[in-house]
Amino acid sequence: MVMITKLDQMFDVLREKPSKHLVAAYANDRHTVAAVEMARSMGLVEATLVGDRDAIQKSCKEEKIDPSVFNIVHEKEDMQAARTAVDLINEGRGDLLMKGLVSSDKYMRAILDKENGLMDPGAILTHVTVMEIPSYHKLLIVGDVAIIPLPGLKEKTAILKELIKTAHRLGNENPKVAVLAATEQVLPKIPACVDAAILSKMASRGQIKGAIVEGPLALDVIVDKESARIKKVNSEVAGDADCILFPNIESGNAFYKFNTKLAGGELSAIVVGGRVPAVLSSRGDSARTKLYSIALAAMMA
Amino acid sequence: MADHLLKKKIRKTIAVAVAEDPNTMGALFRAVQAGFARAVFLGKAARIRELALEETGRDDWFILEDVPAEKEAVYRAMNMVREGEADVLMKGLVGTDLFLRAVLDKEKGLLPPDTVMSYVCAIQLPRYPKLLFVTDTAVLPYPDLKQKAAMLRYAVNMARRFGIGQPRVALIGASEKISENIHTSTDAALLCKMVERGQLPECVIDGPLDIFLACDPESVRIKGVHTPVNGEADILLFPTLEACNAFYKGLMLFGGGELAGLIQGTTKPVVVMSRSESPASKYYCVALSCLMAEENT
Repeated sequence: MVMITKLDQMFDVLREKPSKHLVAAYANDRHTVAAVEMARSMGLVEATLVGDRDAIQKSCKEEKIDPSVFNIVHEKEDMQAARTAVDLINEGRGDLLMKGLVSSDKYMRAILDKENGLMDPGAILTHVTVMEIPSYHKLLIVGDVAIIPLPGLKEKTAILKELIKTAHRLGNENPKVAVLAATEQVLPKIPACVDAAILSKMASRGQIKGAIVEGPLALDVIVDKESARIKKVNSEVAGDADCILFPNIESGNAFYKFNTKLAGGELSAIVVGGRVPAVLSSRGDSARTKLYSIALAAMMA
Repeated sequence: MADHLLKKKIRKTIAVAVAEDPNTMGALFRAVQAGFARAVFLGKAARIRELALEETGRDDWFILEDVPAEKEAVYRAMNMVREGEADVLMKGLVGTDLFLRAVLDKEKGLLPPDTVMSYVCAIQLPRYPKLLFVTDTAVLPYPDLKQKAAMLRYAVNMARRFGIGQPRVALIGASEKISENIHTSTDAALLCKMVERGQLPECVIDGPLDIFLACDPESVRIKGVHTPVNGEADILLFPTLEACNAFYKGLMLFGGGELAGLIQGTTKPVVVMSRSESPASKYYCVALSCLMAEENT
């Protein structure tokens, strides 16, 4: 497979493959219906909409969409709609999940439900964002910017594996992964530095496979070869990273929001770690972002 | 080592505290005779003379200063080293506790403030193709990361004195795997990265590694572990005193090893030898102290 360097390229790859089946939880609103129909009409997915049948049909009408293109499962109430959507996935009737008008809290509760959710024992739910930033020469796969506030070494290992898996699915067989800190020095009192050094060594021991992992690295060294040269960081990851692992949610969150709001970046984001990938777009996301997120989930499914 | 010292015309003065000690007499006599050491004995003069005659048949190969009180002898010897009248401080027939406490004395001792005291041994083995530097056999029970960093500096520095410009360092563990729950394995990972980042002296470093992966290229090949040390370690840095102590004593007992060891961190070399070491090892300790006392080698 060719390595994907622009988010648009996901569409071409998906069109070549049999369609994955999307299940949308509480898809009552226009935004959700429109995003799903866009993805469906582009040949990226087939779709089941779980939600209030009347509301769905009304939204379809407003968006000038023929509701018969969807499989509609009637659930009047939001929490139950999320549960039903998850049940459909567990019954093998869907490959990826998408959030509709239901709140993130309820949506996540349905995914994380111990008995009927999407988690295998011991699995860690995390969040992967793939960013296309005009001033960077390729995609950047980053995490966790949304779910795990302050990951420990075990959670970081889980996040790292998801970042690497995402890179693989996007056609990058041996991604360069940077573990971010505020400096390249290993400062024993700074947990981000310590964990980064340990993860880097674990990867060189083959305990984390399928990637070159380097850290601690500061952001300038991660994305700018010149900085790496000046600071004498001799690593093939420096200045050419495919993935960035953030030490906490604040740094990752600020990074992606800065890039989307001020640097003209586009993004696609999904929740991973469960049995299937899940789209968790917020109402503030653009239609484009929603489409990219559905495409990414389909790539990962 | 002796040849090297003589070739470089190195001759150092060793001040022995409480020198009425048959344990060290033979080794010092040999060093003086070889020509790379001068001995200054501080202690009970009459007893020292008597012992020297008994052990070496002569009492004219050392400078003698009568300081009958133990503690005084230790401080007098240390002061000579501090003042530059002697180059090496050596423990004689005095308790290690009292002796080291004096060395650690904040005002009159030989350890600068905030300096880690440790111990490095150079071991010669019939079945290993080169010297093996091991640390810490004697001083730090459970070294933390900062202390391990100091141990690494000392061992690399000593290896360089032996002409090993780029020593291969193995950070010893029970396995090469890094596990969050085994903090010695994560410390090893951190030390490797600190070397890579230039925070510690340049060397070829890897760890955790078990002894097989550190010292046996065949094991490296069989296990298929990619390690730059490649089974050819010059330096073994152990995670605990017990492990290191048991390892070196095992080598002495079963591996036909001889050693030269030295306290590290002090401003001038300090020799503390165990009575149970062989005469050859004692002589090597003295030679090592003279080598390390030389500023420019």
